[in-house]
Amino acid sequence: MSDNKYRALSEEEIAALEDRGCRAGDWSKVHVAAEFDPSRFHGIVFHGKVEIARQSGEILLSDGRKKSCGIYNASLENVAIGENCYIANVHVGISNVNIGTGVAIENVGEIICEGESTFGNGHAIDVLNEGGGREMNICAQSNAQVAYLTIMYRDNQPLIDGLHKISDAFCAQIHSNRATVGQNSRIKNCTKITNVWIGESAVLDGVLSLREGTVASSAEAPTSVGSGVVAEHFIIQKGASVMDGAMVASSLVGEACKVGKQVSLENTVLYANSEAFHSELCSVFGGPYTVTHHRSTLLIAGYFSFYNAGSATNQSNHMYKLGPVHQGILERGCKTGSSAYLLWPARVGAFSAVLGKHHANFDTTNLPFSYISEEGGRSFIIPGMNYFTTGTFRDALKWPARDKRTVSNKLDFIIFDVLSPYTGQKVIRGQEILNDLSERSQKSQTFVSFKGIHMKRLLLKTCSRYYQLILDKYFGDIVIKRMQHKSAGTLADLFTNDSDQFVSHEDQWVDICGLICRKNRLEHFTAAVSSGEIQSYAQIQTALQAIYTTYHEDEWQWFLAQYAHMNGHPLQEESSGNWQAFMERWNTASRKLLKMVLSDAGKEFEGNVKTGFGVDGNQDADFANVRGVFDENSFKQQLEKDMQSADARYEDFMKLLV
Amino acid sequence: MATTLERVKNITAELLKIDPSIIQKDSRFVEDLGAESIQSIELVAAFDEEFDIEMDEDEALSVKSVGDAVTFIDRYLEG
Repeated sequence: MSDNKYRALSEEEIAALEDRGCRAGDWSKVHVAAEFDPSRFHGIVFHGKVEIARQSGEILLSDGRKKSCGIYNASLENVAIGENCYIANVHVGISNVNIGTGVAIENVGEIICEGESTFGNGHAIDVLNEGGGREMNICAQSNAQVAYLTIMYRDNQPLIDGLHKISDAFCAQIHSNRATVGQNSRIKNCTKITNVWIGESAVLDGVLSLREGTVASSAEAPTSVGSGVVAEHFIIQKGASVMDGAMVASSLVGEACKVGKQVSLENTVLYANSEAFHSELCSVFGGPYTVTHHRSTLLIAGYFSFYNAGSATNQSNHMYKLGPVHQGILERGCKTGSSAYLLWPARVGAFSAVLGKHHANFDTTNLPFSYISEEGGRSFIIPGMNYFTTGTFRDALKWPARDKRTVSNKLDFIIFDVLSPYTGQKVIRGQEILNDLSERSQKSQTFVSFKGIHMKRLLLKTCSRYYQLILDKYFGDIVIKRMQHKSAGTLADLFTNDSDQFVSHEDQWVDICGLICRKNRLEHFTAAVSSGEIQSYAQIQTALQAIYTTYHEDEWQWFLAQYAHMNGHPLQEESSGNWQAFMERWNTASRKLLKMVLSDAGKEFEGNVKTGFGVDGNQDADFANVRGVFDENSFKQQLEKDMQSADARYEDFMKLLV
Repeated sequence: MATTLERVKNITAELLKIDPSIIQKDSRFVEDLGAESIQSIELVAAFDEEFDIEMDEDEALSVKSVGDAVTFIDRYLEG
């Protein structure tokens, strides 16, 4: 607010204010807008320089009440107040704060800024490895991809230095001795807010204590912080809600995350659409859609994304030797069942389900879509099986549908595909591993071991077939997607090249905390950060957006390279008969998948699942009334439609061969 | 040479760790013999190995009983 918008109070106005119980150490430091109505001010103690914009009309509070704009019963010290605010009953005071237009502050202890602050930005936290070494500076404008590179790429020191420079530059920009309350924010029944930057349209209601942090918020993605919340050294990104006794220390809560019900977050980052309730999270790197809902769950020193924690999920990150130095990775899409335990270090391949207690330090990164269980104290894996379950199928539909981010420029880049070159390359490797193990194993063996985990020898061929089914399904999906994207009328239309780069079948694909991309593309990005070509978070967003938009074309090119490698000639040279066979394999795989998922879903309606129903009466009737009838189940009906749809798309494609 | 039924019974008994004598042709793998879902997959794999066949994954879903398995396998073998 510039001084020329304001003027000093007149003698009459000072007298009127004093009549209304206002006092000032020095009235000359109280500046007001040209239009000043003393009747809108009561019981104010002014200290230092205070600027007050025009107050008129009424303001609508978050609970639906309307109040006359003005300031009532508050102590104000070095404060600038925007137009048409309502500030009432500030018991200790507001000090060193810029308050935007249309803000309501009611029944609050204190909102202050002490000394200089970066408002949580730049605060270093020990994510993933509790013993340190992977420190990340939390920042309001940094995203999941920046976090991943900062935390995981410690073998690339120039990159880490570049990212730290960007963080430092951002902190230098925003550090201040004045806190901010953004326009149209609502702050009610809060006790203590110290050195906190609050964005537009934020709602803070019943907060116990916020210290050194940022509540990023906007009109399109308002952020809520609720009752009993205690947070220190924190960043809350736009559209998030932190409620009901959540304890947040040295942590970042990402866009549209929901955190509450006394959950404890320490040295933790959670990115887009994550949910954490009741649980304890310590040194957790939670990528998008990390979800834990149960009081007995501890997540510690692990990387998770698209993850669902069963109750009493737990991990250990040290062995009482050199401290908590172990870490774990659950690649995207994993689940842990009730009471699942993992002894870190361990790495679980994408879209795997973990049940039971695991004391082996296994690495299943190249065995995705697995079912990992425990038998007699030993860990067993069934590779590929988890692809054919209802849970994975539903998750694939659910995640994009549950993207709650309403902000137009989303920070985190997310590729939702379950089948992607990232998982595809692992399925290919996994199949090679299984075939190799199968060839080398003896019929007398009950199980074989691979990287710390056991497999039933009998299942090696079965699981290899699972992986082949997944590949048949995925490769056909890519062709169908291409046909639709290109509105192809002929086969030649599929091969119109939109790619700017040569893609090899050997290219590695990576999942950068939600953003799936070719490693080559990422390396161009990391080199630009390392060299200083990219110098700001805004430039990072632009560069990552460019990578994000290349995904589908790169995926197509990768598929073509894989096809040529596997078949010895390019897909473009394939005969009509082989095209037909290829698409028939896709249609068969699609139907098999849907039948297997359907069969899995059917288990929810048969046998022992009715136990406990009809407790004093008719079991079937009680079950039908509570759970419904399988034939009428919407998921079943959707699967049946999907089967018809697969047939229709197959027929559409066959027209290209005519 | 043991019949398909006898071989199916032996494999089932060994894999589910149960007495072969309690296995009847109409015994259902899950409800009567206590097979869990993973064991059902193992049974199919064991039948594959024993009879040197490849049971189709989704068709194998329809195999609910020992008798189903025998019919299924015989059909495969007759081919």
